[in-house]
Amino acid sequence: MKEVRGVVRDNTRVAHDTFLLSLDCDLPVSRPGQFVMLQVACGYEPFLRRPFAILGNQARTLEILYKIKGHGTRLLAEKRTGDNVNVLGPLGKGFSVHDGEETIVYMAGGTGLPPILSLAENLRQGILILGVQSKDQIPLLSRISSLPGVELKLATIDGSCGRMGLATDVLDDVVCNVSGSVKIYACGPKGMLLATSECAKRIGAWCEVSLEEFMSCGFGVCTGCVVETTGGNRRVCREGPVFNAQEILF
Amino acid sequence: MDTRVEIAKGVVLKNPVLSASGTFAYGEEFSEIFDLSLLGGIITKGLSLKPKKGNPCPRVFETTAGMINSIGLENIGVDAFVQEKLPFLGQFYTPVIVNFFGNEEEEYEQVAARLDVDGISALEMNVSCPNVKKGGIEFGKEPDILYSLVSRVRSITRKPLFVKLSPMVKDIREMALAAQEAGADALTCANTIPAMAIDETTWRPVLGNITGGLSGPAIKPVALKLVFDVYQCVNIPVIASGGIATYRDVIQFLLAGASAVEVGSASLRDPMCFISIIEGTAAYMKEHSIESVAELTGKLII
Repeated sequence: MKEVRGVVRDNTRVAHDTFLLSLDCDLPVSRPGQFVMLQVACGYEPFLRRPFAILGNQARTLEILYKIKGHGTRLLAEKRTGDNVNVLGPLGKGFSVHDGEETIVYMAGGTGLPPILSLAENLRQGILILGVQSKDQIPLLSRISSLPGVELKLATIDGSCGRMGLATDVLDDVVCNVSGSVKIYACGPKGMLLATSECAKRIGAWCEVSLEEFMSCGFGVCTGCVVETTGGNRRVCREGPVFNAQEILF
Repeated sequence: MDTRVEIAKGVVLKNPVLSASGTFAYGEEFSEIFDLSLLGGIITKGLSLKPKKGNPCPRVFETTAGMINSIGLENIGVDAFVQEKLPFLGQFYTPVIVNFFGNEEEEYEQVAARLDVDGISALEMNVSCPNVKKGGIEFGKEPDILYSLVSRVRSITRKPLFVKLSPMVKDIREMALAAQEAGADALTCANTIPAMAIDETTWRPVLGNITGGLSGPAIKPVALKLVFDVYQCVNIPVIASGGIATYRDVIQFLLAGASAVEVGSASLRDPMCFISIIEGTAAYMKEHSIESVAELTGKLII
């Protein structure tokens, strides 16, 4: 964990309300699933930093994919090339990656895409299921659909692209058709994570989920972002955001 | 120029900037970001006799220039702290001040007794907890209840004892005097201010605990007034706590009567702020030819 200065190289809208931020930034090496806290304001409004999953962190370039959700992300979207953004990171524990014969299934729901995409770009194998509201909310479609070694399956609530319905509907089909064992990584809304976790339990698949939580500090001191697990309270920012799905008491 | 402050007998801070309890955990995380020996002192997260699970989520809510928290004093308990965390803190060249609390006088006594060990420079009592034997009223809200509690703890421990006063009381001077008479060595002024947040779309409170405590720059003017009031009625050092985020805040609190300050919420947004605050305070003193912190404490011109 380090506090470093980031300089905006690019900050472009890549889908409805979704932006891709590229920062020139000397952040230490990170793992897929780790995150950073960005200071979006110069003054006290908003007061706290905002947590963002690391999409890419290579060659002194930090990539953040974010959706405008409130005041903080709106300010971030106003950053122009050359502006400074203070970065604290890398934070948290990333996804655990180990060799195996299992078919890897990535589950991404809405704003849960960045850490999952980062992992898929790293592992270069498996099936990526992305669920969004409608087609215009899919960011970086050409980048996602051309991932080497990764098959993309889309689900949209309004049916404008891919299968009409939820990402978990697609997951049910996928696990039925895969021969051999499955390993699942997921990030998205709580309901999706719960359904994914239950599916994993049913088929005996190993499953990790990345949780989204409001955070004050992002590095473990305030204990504001705890989640209840089978082992007691755990800080999403420190022991997470990635947890074994079966440990989470949803 | 000398930035040192003797905050209690034998407790010398190399500068007047301390970490506040509750936003510093037990020091491990911050030690990854900067050398804790640079701090005037470390105040660790409040400890209870037994480990405490804390309140349901959501536990934090951001407000204008601040935040409301209802962590619920989650902590690992005094015994685990002494065994697992204190040895780590011993490697830093700065006083370790341990914050603690209880829900009855006996619990305060028991925790204080367990903290009477090497490696701890002083104790800070959180008295903003409900007294379960007296119908849940906060210890820090009635002078006689506070006097009784502080007296009992005073007789248990040889450590310098700081009392962290509650801000929302009828007259904080009465509380300050009660704590001083009971044997407190210094007063921390003050704690978070009771507050709440409501979601107008759901008609529900935002925090899992319904209410919490407001902190951050939003409460600085309130804390300044409390320090100003307390300083004038006591003859023990006052440690300011409430919204300190820059060296300018430090100077202002010293002028109001503080001998040292605690930095809390500001370090959540900017963990390196301790360094800029310490350096800025020293630079201010140098620039204004101020030889010691005592030349600023209580020197407000009226």
